[in-house]
Amino acid sequence: MALASILRNASRVQAGALPRFFFKPASVAVNRNFSSSLCPNYATFNKNSNLNLGLFVPHSKILIAPQARMMSGDHSRLWPIEKALSVSLLVLVPAAIASPHFILDNLLAVAAVAHFHWGLEAVVIDYARPIVVGNVLAKLALFLLYIISATTLGGLIYYNVNEDGIGQTIRQFWAIKGSGKEKTADSSGSEKK
Amino acid sequence: MATFFRLGSRQVLNHFLRNEKVGMLSLVRPVTLKAQPACPPKEMGHDERNMKLGRPQSPHLTIYAPQLTSMLSISHRATGMILAGYTIMWGLGAVVLPDSISCYLEDLAAANVSSILLCGTKFMLAFPMTYHFWNGIRHLMWDMGLFLTLKEVYATGYVMLILALGSAIALVSM
Repeated sequence: MALASILRNASRVQAGALPRFFFKPASVAVNRNFSSSLCPNYATFNKNSNLNLGLFVPHSKILIAPQARMMSGDHSRLWPIEKALSVSLLVLVPAAIASPHFILDNLLAVAAVAHFHWGLEAVVIDYARPIVVGNVLAKLALFLLYIISATTLGGLIYYNVNEDGIGQTIRQFWAIKGSGKEKTADSSGSEKK
Repeated sequence: MATFFRLGSRQVLNHFLRNEKVGMLSLVRPVTLKAQPACPPKEMGHDERNMKLGRPQSPHLTIYAPQLTSMLSISHRATGMILAGYTIMWGLGAVVLPDSISCYLEDLAAANVSSILLCGTKFMLAFPMTYHFWNGIRHLMWDMGLFLTLKEVYATGYVMLILALGSAIALVSM
């Protein structure tokens, strides 16, 4: 009789007390963990989200992480401009030397500087990478390139405005003949920069 | 009697199991499984990962046999850099030099230096230009989707080399 009651009570304990005991601290633990700083997004999630939608907001914020890119921005728009510039240089360089003209000289100066600036920018980005030379030096190299390109453009336009111009100067240099053999100065077109 | 035993055993069992200090269940640690947002893997760049693994840089230049394709490609960049250097020297020279460049050219003409030196200088100026010019056309053709088979890449490469050298020599001898 006593044994029967003990067994019955034991079974009641197992059925009633044990689950209550396990579940109650469990829910406390859940509350404690969620309110602690273990979940960094919980604070923002709590502040600026509704109950249902909020669960997914920190998720999507994490999954769409910014990707590290070598090139900044979208290069697909600049690319056709670069190609058009290259094609224009195929015409400009011979033309500016064949028939020196103020407008051609300045067009050549702008096109050449833009062309070499983009080319050297690719060179700097390829070789002066932050992982190789450090963040500071990589940025400094790019900054220096901008300074050099701007100064060169200014210098070339200054030269075109105040002095002979690019095409005429190339012709003048090409007309110089050395002492070894005598040649007549040829003034036909050439495509030297 | 039965009620007594029932009450007593319940208290004993409760004490035995649920007492905070001596109860058996105080030894059981509650474990919670908690859903957490997935952490994205650590962002590691291509170079960073390869450096960490000790891999050589690709292309592995010290073991790679030089090929026409790669050599023409890198020399396109090299000639472009040379031409950029000439242009930068010109632009900065126009700003920095005390006299105009044509004055120096007149001095050079008056100095009557040897023609070999002059021709060498002209070739150094002309060849990067012609090379970059003709190979640039080759690159623009590729950009338009032309001559992209390996055979055509080699063929245009040889044609470009001949054109570049020939036009440079022609320019120098002008």
